[in-house]
Amino acid sequence: MDREWNDSQPIYRQLRDRVVAMILDGVLKEGDPLPSVRNVAAEYRVNPLTVLKGYQQLVDEQLVESKRGRGMFINVGARNLLLQGERQKFLAEEWPRVYATIQRLGLGAEELLDAATSQSSSDAAQSKTTESNLPEEES
Amino acid sequence: MKSLRFMLSLVLLSLSTLAFGQSDTQKSFDKLKTLAGSWEGNVTTVPQDATIEGKLTQVSLRATSMGNALMHEMTMGGRPDDPITMLYLDGDRLLLTHYCDAGNRPRMAGKMSPDGKTVEFSFLDVAGSTQYGHMYHAVFTVIDANHHAEDWTFMMPGDKPMHAHMDLQRTK
Repeated sequence: MDREWNDSQPIYRQLRDRVVAMILDGVLKEGDPLPSVRNVAAEYRVNPLTVLKGYQQLVDEQLVESKRGRGMFINVGARNLLLQGERQKFLAEEWPRVYATIQRLGLGAEELLDAATSQSSSDAAQSKTTESNLPEEES
Repeated sequence: MKSLRFMLSLVLLSLSTLAFGQSDTQKSFDKLKTLAGSWEGNVTTVPQDATIEGKLTQVSLRATSMGNALMHEMTMGGRPDDPITMLYLDGDRLLLTHYCDAGNRPRMAGKMSPDGKTVEFSFLDVAGSTQYGHMYHAVFTVIDANHHAEDWTFMMPGDKPMHAHMDLQRTK
C-alpha cells in the first residue's frame, strides 16, 4: 500500500479505498485476512482509531467480516459486490464524460477498438518484460 | 432599614445560587484539568470487538490559555490524523469542540456524574460536512491520579455508531 495520503478526504476513507483497490486487483482474495490494526497503524504511522474506522467502513459495506479474536477477513463475494458497485459508478459518473469526449472528437467504434487492442498488446509485452527481469526461482 | 436588609439578603441569596451553579460546572472542568499530562494504553472497539493491546494509544492533555482551556490530543509523533479536542467553559456550560480528522467540528456539552468521577459529553451540534461521519459522544472517567478511561463514539456514515474505549495510564 502507498504510504502517502492526500488532503481530499479523511485517511480512514483513503485506507478503505486502498483495501477496495487491492480486492479488485486480486491482491487481497476472498477469505484473506486483513493486516492487523496494530501493524497498519505502526507501518503507516496513522492513528489506530483511523485504521479501525477504515475497517469498520468495510464491515458496514459487507466486504469484510470480523471474526472474534481472529481478526478481519475478506468476505466471500466481496469482489463481485465491489465490481457491481464500481461498474454502476463508472456508468453513472465517468462514462457520460468519456462518451461526451468521444462524441466531441468524432471517434468511431473501430478506432476505439483498435486503440483498446494495441493497449492490451502493449500491457502484455510490458508484463512479459517485467517477468523476464525477475530473478529465477532457486531450486 | 428592615426592607434594605431584606433586599440585601435576597441579592446575596441569588448570588450564592449563581455561584453554586457555576461551581458545579467549574468543578467538572477542574476535575478534567487534573488529567493534564501524558497518557498511554490500549483501545477496545465495538462493534468490531477488537482490542488493540499495548501502549499504542497515546493521549496528551494540557491546560492552556491561562487555564481557560484544556487541550486534548490523541498523539503519536504528529501523525496527520491526530484529532484535537478543546474543552472550555461557556458561561454555565462545560463544552467540548472536537477537531475531527473527518473534517468537521462537533460540539458537545458535559455533565458530571453524582459521584464526581465521570464527565459525560452529549452532542450539541456540528460545523462542517458530516459526509464521512462525525464524533458524537464522549465520556471521561477518572479512576485515580494515574489512571483514567475515555469512551468516544464516532457516528459512521449512515449513522452507524462505532465505540472506542481507552484505558489509559499516566506516563508524565
